[in-house]
Amino acid sequence: MFPSSPTAGLAQNTSYKVVLPFYIYGALSFLIATILLLFSSSALVQHYFHPQTLAITHAMALGWGTMMILGASHQLVPVLIEGKLYSDALAYLSFLSAAIGIPLLVYGFYHFYFGWEAQWGAILINAAIVFYLINIAVSMIKSKKENVHAVFVFTATLWLLITIIVGLFLVFNFTHNILSQDSLHYLPLHAHLGIIGWFLLLVLGVASRLIPLFLISKYHNVKILWWIYGLVNFGLISFIVIFLYIGKSWLYFFPLSAILISIIMFGFFCKKAYLDRLRKKVDDQLKISLFSVLMMLLPLLVLLIIILMMLFSVDDPKLILTYGFCIFFGWITAIIFGMTFKTLPFILWNKAYHDKAGMGKTPNPRELFNNKIFQIMSVFYLAGFILLIAGILISNTFILKFAALLLVVTAFLYNTNVFKMIMHKPKKI
Amino acid sequence: MVINTDTKIAKILKQNPAALEAIISITPKFEKLRNPLLRKLMAGRTSIGMASKISGCGINAFFDKLKPLGFEIDDNVITGKSEEKPHLPAFFNSLKPEQIIEFDVRPLIDADKDPLPLIVEKVKSIEKGQALKIINSFEPTPLLSLLKKQGFDSYVDTIDDQLVETYFYKTGNSAVEINTGENNNEGWDNYIKKFEGKMQTIDVRQLEMPGPMMAILDEINKLPADNALYVYHKRIPVFLLPELKEKKFDYRIKEISDGEVRLLIFKE
Repeated sequence: MFPSSPTAGLAQNTSYKVVLPFYIYGALSFLIATILLLFSSSALVQHYFHPQTLAITHAMALGWGTMMILGASHQLVPVLIEGKLYSDALAYLSFLSAAIGIPLLVYGFYHFYFGWEAQWGAILINAAIVFYLINIAVSMIKSKKENVHAVFVFTATLWLLITIIVGLFLVFNFTHNILSQDSLHYLPLHAHLGIIGWFLLLVLGVASRLIPLFLISKYHNVKILWWIYGLVNFGLISFIVIFLYIGKSWLYFFPLSAILISIIMFGFFCKKAYLDRLRKKVDDQLKISLFSVLMMLLPLLVLLIIILMMLFSVDDPKLILTYGFCIFFGWITAIIFGMTFKTLPFILWNKAYHDKAGMGKTPNPRELFNNKIFQIMSVFYLAGFILLIAGILISNTFILKFAALLLVVTAFLYNTNVFKMIMHKPKKI
Repeated sequence: MVINTDTKIAKILKQNPAALEAIISITPKFEKLRNPLLRKLMAGRTSIGMASKISGCGINAFFDKLKPLGFEIDDNVITGKSEEKPHLPAFFNSLKPEQIIEFDVRPLIDADKDPLPLIVEKVKSIEKGQALKIINSFEPTPLLSLLKKQGFDSYVDTIDDQLVETYFYKTGNSAVEINTGENNNEGWDNYIKKFEGKMQTIDVRQLEMPGPMMAILDEINKLPADNALYVYHKRIPVFLLPELKEKKFDYRIKEISDGEVRLLIFKE
């Protein structure tokens, strides 16, 4: 009866109902992963291909890192492309498949039993990513607005899909010999597809958007971002080629250098944005996000040592474990800490107050969480992380246990703040 | 446009402004609609069915006048309410005079004022077992449906065609929650009035992120202390809000539709 206006839905935000389940799931996964860490800290003094270590790594990479990113990007992608999320139903389907698949897979790893649980877990996780990929692809096609950040996100998701397809093969390879080598052999391929292709590319794409935004910086440089995009992809593809077809250790310096240069360029980008900022006071959440940029260099340093040692045919599983934990407990966790409190309060403020902001004074979105708890959490986190890495390097179970305990407290404080925001009841206006 | 008994008068007037004269010609009671303020207030809350009850004219009188203007009538939706006087509800007989709070809204209506905010205030003060008696010149149909949702029984006593007394009797204990958006001094409309003639405007709808935020922050840095900034925006700029608080600015936001938002920013 009434023709809708042509602008209807143009700048519509993704509903909080789509985003919240991912955030809640991510927060709880982090808590569970740290509790697993507490109960299996002795595994960390053994070889990295240990059932419990694999279970913790996957709980962190999928349940924590990937679920948080999926949640945030359902919200962010429409903003980046100035369009609208294509389908809420696909988002729910994606959440549901991943939410069921991840615990099944983690359970499979923990007991090192690759029966139907792990297999179905892997299949469901693949389905979740396919749903997500379709959803953002159609959203982007419909918006027709090309944007370097959106290209980062889309490419990263493609790499994620490749990562988990490889993962699926690896799971089946445990019981049916479908690959020419055992699953341990392919672990570096699977891990780097995920770490570089998915996490690094995505974080660079999104952070290059959000960091200037939160600093209120006029700095803008698309050219450098395309260079970073090219270098990361070149690094990853050259790594795959060397890994699968050449296998000479010294060649790994090429991909490593490409990634290192891209991160240095990104650091330069952040520094420029920081110097050009309008906002003189930088808040704690942003500080921890900027800190995580520096934290990217730590695993690369470890990786450099690993490659150097490979040249002399020295294989140190401890360093490889350090490398992985620097990434998941260090860099990715730090970035999620910062970004949670830079996105979630605003999503929830919108939910609670969008229709009340005309009637009277509304609270500051930042008041929805407790900054004191955030600061205490940051202290526990830093101490826990440093001790964790130290414990792995010197193979000390006591330090590892203590570090795990600090991280459990960190996760508990984080969850307290997340649930405080979610339970926020709108004030009467 | 297809209309039925549930179609709001405002929708009809929006579709075809000529309908105003057509409706007024049904009965002089609708002369009030000529007043732009009253029209804005009443037309959005009143459907054809309600208007027919208020005026005592048949629904067909409306349809007959509107048909020549190109409106199509949907006969399937006829609210076939009987026009008989309803029986007195139980609460009415047990009410003692001291339990009845009277409110005559006729002077307000004659002065072209919206009685709703004051009625809402009165309603909020009513306790369980008390009744509010609204004295009016027509049956306040929009109010009847509004208060029904809030747990009030009602009884309409039509004395004559110039005097209608409506009783609202509170049955539940729950607090009344009605938002007219105009019942406090802190709302959008109030600030719009307050800054009339002292407003700068800026349209950031065409800017790419983070352009809108930059433009707004630039603008409020230049804003004279007693002025307000009126912003045309595509969405609620949530990330701007902490920045405004930091700079000791307050804001009010009005959502027009999806993709259309207005902001008013002023010094706290």
